[in-house]
Amino acid sequence: MSNALSIDELSVSYGPIPALKNVSIEVPNGGFVSVLGANGAGKTTLVRTISGVLYLQKGKRTSGSIKFGGEDISKLKSRSIVRGGIAHVPEGRMLFPHLTVDENLRCGAASRRDTSGISETLSEVFDLFPQLPPLQHQQAGLLSGGEQQMVAVGRALMAKPSLLICDELSLGLAPLIVRDLFLLLDRINQEGVAVLAIEQNARIALRHSKYAYALEVGEVVLEGPSAELRENQEVQDLYMGGGGDIREAYTAIRREVNR
Amino acid sequence: MEILASTFFDFGINVQLVVGGLALGAIYAVVALGFVLVEKSTAVLNLAVGEFLMLGSYFGVAFFMERQTNFFVGTIVITAVMALFGLVIHYGIMRPMVGQGFFAIVLATIGIATVIRAVVQMRFGPLEKGNLTALPTGTIEVAGTNIRWVDIIVLLVVAASVAGFLAFYSLTRTGLHMRAVASNIEAAAGVGIDPDRAYALTWAMAIGIAGLGGVMLGHFTPSVNPALAAIGLRAFPAAAIGGFTSVGGSIIGGLIVGVIEQLAGGHLGTKWREPVAFGILFLVLIFKPTGLFGQKDLERV
Amino acid sequence: MSEMTITDTSTSGSSSVKRVPASLRVLPFLVALASPLILDNISWNPFAGWKILVGFILLIVVGKFAWSTAERDPDNPRLALKLWHRPDQRALTAMTCMGLVAIPFILGTDFDPPMDFPWASWFRIVNYIVLFALGAGAFNLLAGYTGQLSMAHAAFLMIGTMVGAHVGLIWGQSFWLCLPIAAVAGAALGALFGIPALRLRGLYLMLATIGVHFIVLLGWKEYLVHYFGFGGVRFNAPNLPSWLHWVPGINPEDGEFLINTQFRWFWLNLTITTICLLFLVNVIRSREGRAFAAVRDRDISATLLGINVARSKLVAFALSSAMVSVSGCLLSYYNRARSEDSFNLEQVLDYGIIIVVGGFMGIQGAIFGSVFFFALPMYFEWMREELPFISDIDFFSRYAGEVDLAIRGILVVVVLVWRPDGLAGLWQAAKNRLLRQFQNSQAGAAQ
Repeated sequence: MSNALSIDELSVSYGPIPALKNVSIEVPNGGFVSVLGANGAGKTTLVRTISGVLYLQKGKRTSGSIKFGGEDISKLKSRSIVRGGIAHVPEGRMLFPHLTVDENLRCGAASRRDTSGISETLSEVFDLFPQLPPLQHQQAGLLSGGEQQMVAVGRALMAKPSLLICDELSLGLAPLIVRDLFLLLDRINQEGVAVLAIEQNARIALRHSKYAYALEVGEVVLEGPSAELRENQEVQDLYMGGGGDIREAYTAIRREVNR
Repeated sequence: MEILASTFFDFGINVQLVVGGLALGAIYAVVALGFVLVEKSTAVLNLAVGEFLMLGSYFGVAFFMERQTNFFVGTIVITAVMALFGLVIHYGIMRPMVGQGFFAIVLATIGIATVIRAVVQMRFGPLEKGNLTALPTGTIEVAGTNIRWVDIIVLLVVAASVAGFLAFYSLTRTGLHMRAVASNIEAAAGVGIDPDRAYALTWAMAIGIAGLGGVMLGHFTPSVNPALAAIGLRAFPAAAIGGFTSVGGSIIGGLIVGVIEQLAGGHLGTKWREPVAFGILFLVLIFKPTGLFGQKDLERV
Repeated sequence: MSEMTITDTSTSGSSSVKRVPASLRVLPFLVALASPLILDNISWNPFAGWKILVGFILLIVVGKFAWSTAERDPDNPRLALKLWHRPDQRALTAMTCMGLVAIPFILGTDFDPPMDFPWASWFRIVNYIVLFALGAGAFNLLAGYTGQLSMAHAAFLMIGTMVGAHVGLIWGQSFWLCLPIAAVAGAALGALFGIPALRLRGLYLMLATIGVHFIVLLGWKEYLVHYFGFGGVRFNAPNLPSWLHWVPGINPEDGEFLINTQFRWFWLNLTITTICLLFLVNVIRSREGRAFAAVRDRDISATLLGINVARSKLVAFALSSAMVSVSGCLLSYYNRARSEDSFNLEQVLDYGIIIVVGGFMGIQGAIFGSVFFFALPMYFEWMREELPFISDIDFFSRYAGEVDLAIRGILVVVVLVWRPDGLAGLWQAAKNRLLRQFQNSQAGAAQ
């Protein structure tokens, strides 16, 4: 199986402060991969680096490469990256609050050259989210959090991506809505779109993804098939709040990192 | 200050004042449109709007008075040149200043205004020029009162160009992208819209529109002179009625301010025109800061 | 006394600090102040070179003294609260004071320099610099420190003028009474017009205050027509009160000493501006001033810190307006004539240009900015007339005013784009570099 996205030994730093250290992540074609990690683990930096907006935060890639479909994208501008087939759902949704739902979705297709196909994709997105058509002409800023997140996912899909990156899809949403959204991600994934879910909520991410990585202070500390990780005691202790002594597990991982 | 009862209820005079006010208001609307467009999408308070308007009028002097250009050709050329000027301002001044404080950028626009004023006076001298006469003069009798042709044509040209602009802004893909950048620039960059291009386009359109307004103003006023720049300040009350965020609201605001001002000037005396216009601004800001058509997320305490 | 405790608690305790009793440290300043008296009693030729020499020697002595007595501990947080804690700051302040005191005496015999004196006309510019430094400093208190962009400050210049005209001319009171009344009226109306600031912020406040400006302007026009007719007001020169006649250099004629020359005005303006700006600097360093900064940075958090935001805003408005009003009164008496068109929005924008070009944060910025604003056209004028190549170009002499205007506009944009912290920032950078070099050379010498 060829890889859609392969990140190799990536290191990123903000000025003197390293944010990612030798991170290697692979997303196979049509795969569903999740990246877990607590606050400050470097998840958002990872997303920024992939989507080419790192320079906005004065970050710098110090080593490593990012290949998408065999092509190096680490030096491209965000516009070309979106055009190349990577769309992302940004953290905190980031809709255009003054535009209507319809207009928000159309903006998602900003990078597309085949303007004729946009309406077609739009109806596909509306099929995927049956809640959205009645809200079409409402201002996006007035929707509920769950509806906004759907618009954000729909907007990303409008670019007809082959890889969808979701940054903190579960942020600030009720568990039921999060579950629905992940079921939707499954559906999108079944249609052949690779999904990279960056998540704090490990429980749900591991249930839906096929492969997972755990980031800790900028490094990949664990990786493996999701089903295996779900059984892993450390993961349960750290990310799922299950049994065990959390501090002990944490220091164990820290020791691993420091070595 | 005394109100002349005889003219106050005179139908003919009032109709004349209202039509004149609508034409004047149309010019204000155009200025306010350019102002709101820039303010809304780039968060720059452009205090040089008046100078751009004046520059448009003086371009009118150069084309229509000195070269006898055809009205339509001249207007289009002036609008295009002004739009180009907007691009220069964006790439030369506004882009390097990204990230600086609000007031610093406001003052940069004042610096631009100063330069424009100086250059205009170098080229055309400080004295008044007569008004532009590329449009048919004379009056037409409607319902028993005489209405100037100029007023009607100014209204029509402005209405047509504003309608064209609004169609572009709300119906086309580029217009949509400009609105997206105005709404949330980071998200716009994230979906692959180039914010820089949208800003440049916004500046070009805003300044181009101001140039068009200047040509109209040159036909409307009795004389073209450097003091025309003060009219740019009227963009503020007009935009305030629109709540500073609504492009359509600013146009209606411009018309309202124009009519009220003309009525106040006609009935109370010309010195009341400015205080009345800015009194409206003050009252709207104090009692309804969102304007009559504004969106809710204004910066308030 | 308090200084002693500060140095005692200072942790670094550098051994090179020399302690000099406070009474002794004041001495050079007293000598400097008294120098005109001393020099005046020796009969002297105003254009003799030795006088300039004496001035410079005094400058150097005072500067060196201030430098050597200062605590060299810029990191001490308690010293950071003091007005002039670093050696360079003290030296500079001392030199500035000396220079300001010495200038008229170096240039002329007394308060009445010969009118054909070559630089006498330049004092018109110096006067404007001083007066606008006051106005811009006050504007900066509001716009820079408290973050309230008020465009109504031309209206307060107007109010100061109105008070000056009414109290001084209609009621026939002394000019010296006008100033405090102008301050009080400015403060009261400033607090009144500050009320919109409780509801509005940023752009919206700015536009609302433009509204205030035009409404007050109408009031001024009506006032002028009612009391003085269409010709405008003409102020008479203020008379120095007789209890100040003992001051050396003041030669009353018929028991009167009218402030009617550029030199005499320079003294008056300088005194009032210095008092006001020192007051401003001290307000900024006080609890009130820190509340202003908190209101500027985040007024909601400021509320949570227990700062009464509404009060802080109104106090800032009142203080700033009072000072602008005083400067308006001074400016009107200095200009002698005021008419319907004397006040417009551009004056506020001029203040804005002064503080932003000079540097937003600090009274220094206001001073640098007004020097930039007034001295630059003067310099251009000199270049136009004296420099061989430029004076030959007909274009420049024909469009003198316009060229100045254009250059000023371009410079404003260039400074803003190239140096966002203004001329004061540039100055600070240069000074820091010099200081570092000085410290390095000292460290090198010590080894």
